[in-house]
Amino acid sequence: MFEKVEAFHRPTSIREAIRLLEGGTGRAEVVAGGTDLVVAANSTTRILIDITRAGLSYIRKAGGTCTIGATTTMAELEASSVIRGLAGGILARAAATCGSVQIRNVATLGGNLANGSSAADVAPVLLALDATVVSADPNGRRQLPVAEYRKLVRSLLIEVLIPNPPGGKRCGWSFQKLGRTALDISLVNVAAGLKVDASQRVTWARIALGAVAPKAIRMATVEEHMKGRMLSAVSIAEAAEGVMRAVRPITDIRASADYRREMSGVLVRRALGECAAQAGVAL
Amino acid sequence: MKMMDLRVTVNGRPRAWSIAPGELLLDVLRREGFFGVKRGCEQGECGACTVLVNGRAVNSCLMFAAQVEGCDVLTIEGLADNGKLHPIQEAFLDHGAAQCGFCTPGMILSAKALLDRNPHPTEAEVREAMAGNLCRCTGYLKPVEAVLAAAARVAEEVGP
Amino acid sequence: MRERHVVGHNVRKVDGVALVTGGPVFTDDVRIPGMLYGKILPSPHAHAIVKHIHTAKARALAGVHAVLTYRDVPRVPHTTAGQAWPEPSPYDTYLLDSKMRFVGDRVAAVAAESRAIAEEALRLIDVEYDVLPAVIDMEQAMAPGAPVIHDEPDSTKIHDRSRNIAGYILREIGNVEEGFREADYIVEREYRTHRQQHTPLEPHITICWLDPNGRLVIRSSTQVPYHCRRQVAMILQMPVSRVHVIKPRIGGGFGGKQEMLLEDICGALTLASRRPVKMEYTREEEFYMARSRHPQILRMKMGVKRDGAVVASQLTVLATTGAYGSHANTVQGNTGSKVLPLYRAPHMRFECHVVYTNMPVAGAFRGYGCPQGFFAQESLVDEIAEQLGMDPVEFHLQNAIRLGDTDKLSAQLGEGREGLPRLVRSCGLPQCVEKAAAAIGWAEKRRVHNGPRPHLKRGVGMACTMQGSGIAGVDWASAFLKMNEDGSFFLQVGASDVGGGADTVLSQIAAEALGVTLDKIVIASGDTDTTPFDVGAYASSTTIISGGAVKKAAEKVLAQVLAVAAQLLETPVEKLGWGNNEVFTLCECRKAVNMTEIAMHAMYKEKFQIMDGASHFNTDSPPPFCATFAEVEVDTETGQVRVLHLATAVDPGVAVNPMQAEGQVEGAVTQGLGYALTEELLLDGAGRPLNPNFLDYKIFSAMDMPKLTTILVETDEPLGPFGAKSISEVPINGPAPAIANAIYNAVGVRIRKLPIRPEDVLHALGAQAEACATI
Repeated sequence: MFEKVEAFHRPTSIREAIRLLEGGTGRAEVVAGGTDLVVAANSTTRILIDITRAGLSYIRKAGGTCTIGATTTMAELEASSVIRGLAGGILARAAATCGSVQIRNVATLGGNLANGSSAADVAPVLLALDATVVSADPNGRRQLPVAEYRKLVRSLLIEVLIPNPPGGKRCGWSFQKLGRTALDISLVNVAAGLKVDASQRVTWARIALGAVAPKAIRMATVEEHMKGRMLSAVSIAEAAEGVMRAVRPITDIRASADYRREMSGVLVRRALGECAAQAGVAL
Repeated sequence: MKMMDLRVTVNGRPRAWSIAPGELLLDVLRREGFFGVKRGCEQGECGACTVLVNGRAVNSCLMFAAQVEGCDVLTIEGLADNGKLHPIQEAFLDHGAAQCGFCTPGMILSAKALLDRNPHPTEAEVREAMAGNLCRCTGYLKPVEAVLAAAARVAEEVGP
Repeated sequence: MRERHVVGHNVRKVDGVALVTGGPVFTDDVRIPGMLYGKILPSPHAHAIVKHIHTAKARALAGVHAVLTYRDVPRVPHTTAGQAWPEPSPYDTYLLDSKMRFVGDRVAAVAAESRAIAEEALRLIDVEYDVLPAVIDMEQAMAPGAPVIHDEPDSTKIHDRSRNIAGYILREIGNVEEGFREADYIVEREYRTHRQQHTPLEPHITICWLDPNGRLVIRSSTQVPYHCRRQVAMILQMPVSRVHVIKPRIGGGFGGKQEMLLEDICGALTLASRRPVKMEYTREEEFYMARSRHPQILRMKMGVKRDGAVVASQLTVLATTGAYGSHANTVQGNTGSKVLPLYRAPHMRFECHVVYTNMPVAGAFRGYGCPQGFFAQESLVDEIAEQLGMDPVEFHLQNAIRLGDTDKLSAQLGEGREGLPRLVRSCGLPQCVEKAAAAIGWAEKRRVHNGPRPHLKRGVGMACTMQGSGIAGVDWASAFLKMNEDGSFFLQVGASDVGGGADTVLSQIAAEALGVTLDKIVIASGDTDTTPFDVGAYASSTTIISGGAVKKAAEKVLAQVLAVAAQLLETPVEKLGWGNNEVFTLCECRKAVNMTEIAMHAMYKEKFQIMDGASHFNTDSPPPFCATFAEVEVDTETGQVRVLHLATAVDPGVAVNPMQAEGQVEGAVTQGLGYALTEELLLDGAGRPLNPNFLDYKIFSAMDMPKLTTILVETDEPLGPFGAKSISEVPINGPAPAIANAIYNAVGVRIRKLPIRPEDVLHALGAQAEACATI
């Protein structure tokens, strides 16, 4: 499958990795876990750059920001006490659904983002948490909101930054996923977070979905509509309706567009219900 | 095409192999005689190619051989100790957990990775650890029972 | 009855150590110097003529040793179905042809020094196709003006090629019209079943080479080494004696390897290149270039009296065999012959058209026509029982075939030819029903539907099914035993252990019959040079037919052993007992000689080899019986169906190895669960596969499994060795109808199409809600 590959590099620094990528002029591919790259088997690849030893595996919490290196694996995210303690653990939960143990042991956060699958499980969570992506090329580093990140040929995804999410006991978080079997690519997934005040009015809301549009999307309009209003079964049902109107799912061999649309409503209802329960709101 | 050197420890013994840069770990291992590592799908879905790299279960069909430079790789051939079967292997035999046997090496290695980290798993944890090892013969029941029995046996041997 | 020391015991598999240590025992686990890699160029079109094919560039590529097209090989019509000769399937297949009949059909084949070079060589083959209109939908295959798929004059045994009818079956006992007139209630429904693929963990793989004497050696992952040998010899125009087939350990077959699939083309490449050649399917190729289960549309009609007695049952089936007719008549024949006679109806009628379509080829798959038929029948009787106000359990117990009954429909439907009537000499079905019902909690759960949350509903459903044990008058086997100095015996059988443990079971039978411990039996199987004939592993025949041969051979050898012992003990044979590796006098003084002494005496004093062989077949096919009970939880918001518990009670006759027998049940029901809920091979309107991978063809993993309860209800079958029948197929038949019936019990909707997907359930619930709203 990769018989035409001429060289395999294992850079030990980001700088070296970027230099190799630049020198590869379009025939080079970055590889970490390989779970997407090997399956895609691009026959034009001539140079492979393994970045798993370039110092990009870390999870740090400093001040108000959590920083995750690009080659941090899904298994590491799942097991990290920092990530489990962040936003009700929804990033850890999403990482835990990214395939089998064998896949999660090598699949990386950066690789998942770079692959840009519409159904990626961590993407809606990062959207909901206002994450930004830092990438680097020979001209320097650039930081973009995750919604604007696109994989570019000569740039290397370095790390993902997650600002401190709202906290306290009036906060609730949820990650929901629908698949055909226990281990599956998502038919629909939802990441949600809510914060309410003492009178159960929503002060902060995030609802993001995957697999219902070309990329993961945030339901900004629905979020706006929820803010300032009492959190209740009715407001949750309205939010779900709003989501169903906003999503743009497709029909493929896994599910029909109609089913995805209807399930986006079901999962949003369940996600917001779980958030409400955590935030101490009785519906 | 230029070959490259690979230095890796496999089943406790250091190896120095000459590989092509784009060779996959599965292909190199089978080429070097480790036939217990199976080719089932080449897409990381079935787990028949599972090996342990630094104690972690991975699909060798998705890993470039060059990526295990300097690592510790365990294949099924390295599990028995001089002919003495590992408790997981004994349990698989006692519980009828191997039928055609094609998925068996991968299952046993996934189980070993689990028990090394979590010596007292619940049934749900065993099933999750083995969810990446597809089997068409057993329905998974006897393999899961075998792993739980092996866990109990290992716990006994190690002592409180 | 003599106490049994080996049969009936949970012994470890005799090949188990090799499997748990990853020993090099599978087809691919050899390194042969000079071995080439063979590959097939698959047709991109569902129906096309090869107008021009240019191979010069491919032949010129460095490292290519052979390129074959239809011009380079003999044209010998045959079937790929692994069946006893004369095979009851159309002879409509060719090693290589100039007409392509499905996406994946063989355009050409190459052998090269590496996989990469072989793939490059395929890209260099220039083909110009005349693309023809294709038949994709089986309901269009017989329509006037439909493209004719098999218009070649040299194919034979096709029922009506002008209308794409590969096979047609019509059988009736009694008179169903009369029966329906007598009935108080009649229910008629249509059911649809789909393409399921075997997905053995080991895809098809074959390695061929010429031995030093120029014989063609075939090392292959096959269930049918002897049929392979015969068919390859015919296709490559060699004497059978010049072909040697070796079956190593197999990584699963389930019927997909009851087929001569790669052996002929691999052999042809070997002959052309004079080098060893390996051919293996990738997982993708395995999905659509191997075999799959016949999709069917079944129209079932049953008439019953008010008291519940079935008077007439009629099943009309439209099935497609895909592009070639492998197993076309026989799988569908089973849909009638093994399914309808479960009920003691005096009037039965089965009619079936099996049509060609330009789709992947269907073939043998565990259950062999029964999963389809029982889905229809067991779903239908659930409706009937409800209409009558009867508990389905009562309905089954009242109507099911019983000990002593004769199944007359089987007399009409043999393996594509006149069969033999079937007498039920052992039947544990009533106990199976009772025990499985108790295990699932039938009485308590039948009326309680609320799950732990408001949107979750629970229900229970059941199905009864049966199968056969070997094909009556057709399946046969032989076995040979010879004794060694240490009192052990080499057992040589043609039988194919495909993973289910046949080698172990046959060793147990031999050990029991000889009165020795299991370690005294060393088995070699599935080698056409060194083991005697066996039809192979299919039709649930190995334990009963191959085991029957083993028992006969062992008894003959035992007679020789006793004769020597009689000499040594100076006692007549009638006064001798045997067991536990020795022979002893049946008197108070109890003198004994052990097997080693007997062997040494025979070999070095008397100077003869204690050895003998035997062949065996049955003229009947004793049915194993199965009761399957399912508990499901339906999520009424997502349509997802979660099976909470599947209880399966099987009557396999005597279980030679109960632990292995349970393993067979657990594996079969897991495939049944996938058949019911998640597995489907999807193709587009041009006949191209859409999900030829595990990402989108979903089989159950360890995390998807319900609680499984397996109950063996043993009976004693006179036609089986030590009372054994079979177990490996029948449990696959129950899950789909039991689950469909459980869904109805939970939420009141009937799904009559497989697989039962969440969208289908949601759709049905929506339609139900609308229907209720309009009342």
